[in-house]
Amino acid sequence: MSETLTSIQLRGITRRFREGEREHIVLDGIDLDIRQGETVALRGRSGSGKSTLLNLIGGIDAPDAGSVTVAGMDLTRLSERERTLFRRRHIGFVYQSFNLVPTLNVADNVRLVLELNKVPAAQASTRIDALLAAVGLADRAESYPDVLSGGEQQRVAIARALAHEPAVMLADEPTGNLDDVSAEGVLKLLDKLVRDRSHTMLIATHSQYVASLCDRVLELHNGRLEETTSRSR
Amino acid sequence: MIPATYRASFSYLLRHPWQLALSLIGIAVGVAVIVAVDLANASARKAFLMSMDAITGEATHQVIGGPRGVSESAYARLRVEQGVRMSAPVVEGTISVDGTSLTLLGVDLFAEQDIRSFTREAQPDASAGSGSSSLFTGFLVTPGVAMTSASTAEQLGLTVGDTFEVLADGRTHPAKLLATIPGESSGGLDFLLITDIATAQEWLDQAGWLSRIDVRIEDGDAAALEKLRSALPDGTQLLAAAGRTRSTAEMSKAFMTNLTAMSLLALLVGLFLIFNSVNFSVLQRRNLIGVLRALGLTRRQLLAMILVEAGILGAVASGLGLMLGIALGEQLLELVSRTINDLYFRVSVTSVSIESFSLLKGMVAGIGVALVAAAFPAIEATSYQPRLALTRSSLERRARHILPALTLIGFLTMVAAVLLILISGTSLVAGLAAVFLLILGFALCVPLFVSFASTLTAPLAERLGGTTARMAVAGITSGLSRTGVAIVALAVAVSATIGVSIMVDSFRGSVSTWLEQTLQADVYTGALRGSMDPELIEAIRNLEGVEDVSTRKRAWVEDANGRTQLRVFAMPPESYVGAELLDADPADAWPAWEARDAVFVSEPYAYQNSVGAGDTITLPTDHGPRDFAVAATFQSYDINASGIMMSRKTYARHYLDDTIDSLGLYLASAVEADAIVTQVEELSAGWQRLYVGSNANLQRESLRIFDRTFVITDVLYWLTLGVAFIGILSAMLALQLERAREFATLRALGMTPTQVGGMITAQTGIIGFLSGIASLPLGVVMAYVLIKVINRRAFGWQIDMTVAPDILAVSVAFAVGAALLAGLYPAYRAGQSQPAIAMREE
Repeated sequence: MSETLTSIQLRGITRRFREGEREHIVLDGIDLDIRQGETVALRGRSGSGKSTLLNLIGGIDAPDAGSVTVAGMDLTRLSERERTLFRRRHIGFVYQSFNLVPTLNVADNVRLVLELNKVPAAQASTRIDALLAAVGLADRAESYPDVLSGGEQQRVAIARALAHEPAVMLADEPTGNLDDVSAEGVLKLLDKLVRDRSHTMLIATHSQYVASLCDRVLELHNGRLEETTSRSR
Repeated sequence: MIPATYRASFSYLLRHPWQLALSLIGIAVGVAVIVAVDLANASARKAFLMSMDAITGEATHQVIGGPRGVSESAYARLRVEQGVRMSAPVVEGTISVDGTSLTLLGVDLFAEQDIRSFTREAQPDASAGSGSSSLFTGFLVTPGVAMTSASTAEQLGLTVGDTFEVLADGRTHPAKLLATIPGESSGGLDFLLITDIATAQEWLDQAGWLSRIDVRIEDGDAAALEKLRSALPDGTQLLAAAGRTRSTAEMSKAFMTNLTAMSLLALLVGLFLIFNSVNFSVLQRRNLIGVLRALGLTRRQLLAMILVEAGILGAVASGLGLMLGIALGEQLLELVSRTINDLYFRVSVTSVSIESFSLLKGMVAGIGVALVAAAFPAIEATSYQPRLALTRSSLERRARHILPALTLIGFLTMVAAVLLILISGTSLVAGLAAVFLLILGFALCVPLFVSFASTLTAPLAERLGGTTARMAVAGITSGLSRTGVAIVALAVAVSATIGVSIMVDSFRGSVSTWLEQTLQADVYTGALRGSMDPELIEAIRNLEGVEDVSTRKRAWVEDANGRTQLRVFAMPPESYVGAELLDADPADAWPAWEARDAVFVSEPYAYQNSVGAGDTITLPTDHGPRDFAVAATFQSYDINASGIMMSRKTYARHYLDDTIDSLGLYLASAVEADAIVTQVEELSAGWQRLYVGSNANLQRESLRIFDRTFVITDVLYWLTLGVAFIGILSAMLALQLERAREFATLRALGMTPTQVGGMITAQTGIIGFLSGIASLPLGVVMAYVLIKVINRRAFGWQIDMTVAPDILAVSVAFAVGAALLAGLYPAYRAGQSQPAIAMREE
C-alpha cells in the first residue's frame, strides 16, 4: 500500500480510562490503514470504544500509546492547539445529535467552518449555496436549527462537515436520531457527497444498512479491531 | 426520610456547587446589607435613647427656658415656694477629655434621689470612706470632681482618684475622678461625665443658669401637673420628657429612612439574582421535571418541591446573611454614628446591639425574596407537559413571546410611580416607594430593549468580528431567559450608582456654590463649643486690619411642637448678599429683618411648615410665645430643617442671652487672611481655645464633612454592585453549563480555547455594555427623583440638577468592566470544553 494513498494510519493504539481504582482498556494495540477515498464502517457494541477511536482520529483525544497518522500528519506529535488547528482544516464531523449552533441560521452554521478556515467571504458564499443545494436545503438558508426536522438538521450538519473540503469525514451514528426514511435519505446523501469528493470516511454505526453502503466493515470487540467485510466499489 | 423526588431535585443543586454557592452568596449579601443597616440604625437610635433615658431618669416632665436655659432663682422658687419637691436642676453641655467628646451632666445630689438612681450606685475610691456618704461629701466640698461609667473611665484610661483636664467652652479645667458607676447599672451612661451642678456651671460658663429642671409627677396626677404649670416662671415651659427625647431622635429619621431604602435596593438587586438562580436551576432541570411529571408528580407537588427548595435555600442563605450582616453592621455603625454626630445629635455607641427584630426582618426578607423569585419559574415549570421536557429553543420562544406584555406592565408600573409621586404630597415613604416602582417598571422594559439592541447590533458585530462575533451577540438574545435577568440586575445596580452619583454631585455643586455665596467674611473664628469670651471678642474686633465684624449665635428654642434653631446674626449690610432670598425683594426684606420683629425662614423650614414671605410664625421666647413676621425665605442646605434667621436686635428684644458663638471678620483690602488667622490664634492662646480659619479653609472643611456623610452611601452602592456582579457571574456560569455541548462542538469544529473564551468574553462585554446603556435613562430619572422628590421630602432642600457626562461614561465603562470581570472565569471554562462531549449523546 503506497504511503501517499493512505489517509488514516493507526499503529499500536492503546487507550485506557480509569474508573476509580480500576483501569479500563478501551482500545488495545490497534493497527489500522484506511486509504484515501475509502468509506469504512466501524461497528461494535455500545461502550466498545467506537467514539473513542473517532476522537483519536479526529485529534480530539490522544492515545496512551501508539501513533495516529491522518493525512500524513502524526497527531500524537502535535500539541493540543496544533491538533485543534489540524482538525479545523482536515476533519469533518457529523454527530448523532447534529450539534448545530442554535444561535446561527443554516447558512451561518456552514459559514462558521469556512470562516474558521479563513475562506474569503465571496468564495464561502458560493460554496455554501452549492452545498445547501446539494443537501436539498437551498430554500432553508435563513432558517434556524430549531425549526428544522431531524433529517434536515443532519443534512445541515453534513453540509457543514463538507464545507471546508476535509481530508477525513468522521461520522458517529449519524442516523441514530432519525426515522428510517430520513435515515436512508441522509445516508445516501452522505455516501454520494463523500464519494463524489473522494473524501475518506469512517462511520461508527450499529446499522447493518449503513455498513452495507461502505467499502469495508470493521468490528471493534474487546478493544481489538477485526475486519468482517471488504469489497471494492 | 426525604422523598426521592426531593432528593433527585436537590442532588442537582449539589452537583452544581458553583451555582449553589453563588445563589447563596447573592441572597446572603442582600440580607446582610439589610440587617447591617437596620442593626446600625437601631443601635445608634437605641444608644441615643438609652443615654437619654439614663439622663432623664424617673423625670416625667422637664421645665425648659430660652436659649440660656432656666434661671437658678426660678428653680429655688419652684422647689421652696411652690413646694415642687420631686424636682432636680440639671446643667448639661458637651465637653472633651483628652480629645474624647463627652456629655457633661451637672446635678444636685440632694435633689437627685427622686429622679435618678445611678448616683447612688457610684463606687468611690475604697480609701475615701464609706459608700455614698463619702461621695456626697466629695461632691459638695471638692470643686472639679466628677464620676463616669466604669467603661468610659477605662476608655479614658482613668481610675478613681486620677486627675485630668476637661476642655469646656474653649477653656481647660482641672478635674478629678471621684467615683465610677459599675457596668451593670451604667447602661446608657457611657461618655457621660457627672459633676456637681456648680462645677458644671463653672466649666460651661453658665453661672446662675440651669439647662432645665427635671420634674417627676406621679402618673395621672393631673392636679399636681396643673399646679406646676400655673407656678411656672415667665419664659419657661413644661414639656413631657419622653416627647422631647422622641423629637430629638426624630431629627435623624429622614437620614435613617434613606439608608434603609438604600439597603432595600441591595435586596432588590438580590431579588433579580435569586430569580436568575432559581430560574436557571428550574430550567436546567426541565428534563428531570418532565420525567417526574411523566412518572406521576402532580403540578401541586412539583410547585411545592420547587418552593420548598427555594425556601430552604433562602433560609440557609439568610442564616449566612445574618452573620455577615452583624459583622457588616459593626462597620456601618461607625459610619452611621459619625454621620449622626456630624449632622444631628451626639450619640456614643461602640458596638451593635443585636436586635432580634432586625434579624427576624432579615430572615423574612431573605426567605420571602427566595420564595417570590422561585414562584414564577415554579409556576412555569408546572405548565410543562409530562411527556417531554421543553426544548431550550421553545422556552426561549416563550420568553420572547411575553416580552411585549412584560414591557407594557413595566410601562404601567412606571406610570403608577409618577402618579404616586404626584398624589403623595410630602410623604418620604411614598416617594421612596415610587422610586422602587420606577426601578421595577424600568427593569421589566429592559429585556425588550436588549432584544432590540442585540438584533440591531448583530449585523454590525458580524461585520466587525465575523460569525463568531455574531454568535456572541445572538447568544444574548437567544438565551434571553437567562441573560435578560442578569442584564436587568446589573442595569439596576449601575443605574443606582448613576442616580446617587448625579444626586451627590449636583448636591455638592449646589452646596459649594451656596457656601461661596454665604461665607462673605474673610476669616471666621468661634468657640469650639459654647460661646466666646466677650473680652476676647473685643480684642479680636480691635485687631489691626479687621474692618468689620459679623457675629453669629446658634440657639435652640423649643415648645411642644419641637425644636427650632435660631441663627442670630449681626452683620454689616455689605454681607446681605450672602443670603439668597427666594420669595421677597431684598430691598424690603432686609430692613424689616433688621428693625422689626421679622425673621427669614430657611427653605427646608418653609417647605416642611408650609410658610413663606408674608406669613406669621409663633416662637417661644423668654417672655412667652410671640408672633414673628416671615420677611423672606432663604436658601439653605443646613441639615436642620428648622433654621430661622433672626437679627441680633430682634433676638435681644426677646431672649435674655447676649452670648456670641462665632465671628466673621471683614478685612481691609491689603490684609492677608492668613496673617489675621495667625494673630487670632496667638491672641486666643491661653485665653480660650477657638477655631480660626480663612474663608477658603472653612469652605474646604465644610465640603470635607459633606463628603464624609456620603461615605456610607458609597459603601451601600458598592455592595449593591457586588450583588449584581455575582448575578452576572452566576448567569454566565449557568449559560456556560447549559451550552457546554455547543462549545464542545465549536471546539470539535476547530475553534481554539482562546477563540471560544474570546467569544464568551465578547458576549459578557456586550452584556455589560447593554446593561450600561440601559442604566443611563433609569439612572438619570432616578437622580431626578432623588433630587426633586426624595431630598426635597426628606430634608426640604432644592438642589440644582447637573448631569456630568463623565458620570455616565464612567458608569457604562464600569458596567462593561464588571461584566468582563465576571465573564473571565466562565470564558476560561468554556474554552476548556472538551470536544469529546460533543460526541456523547444527551
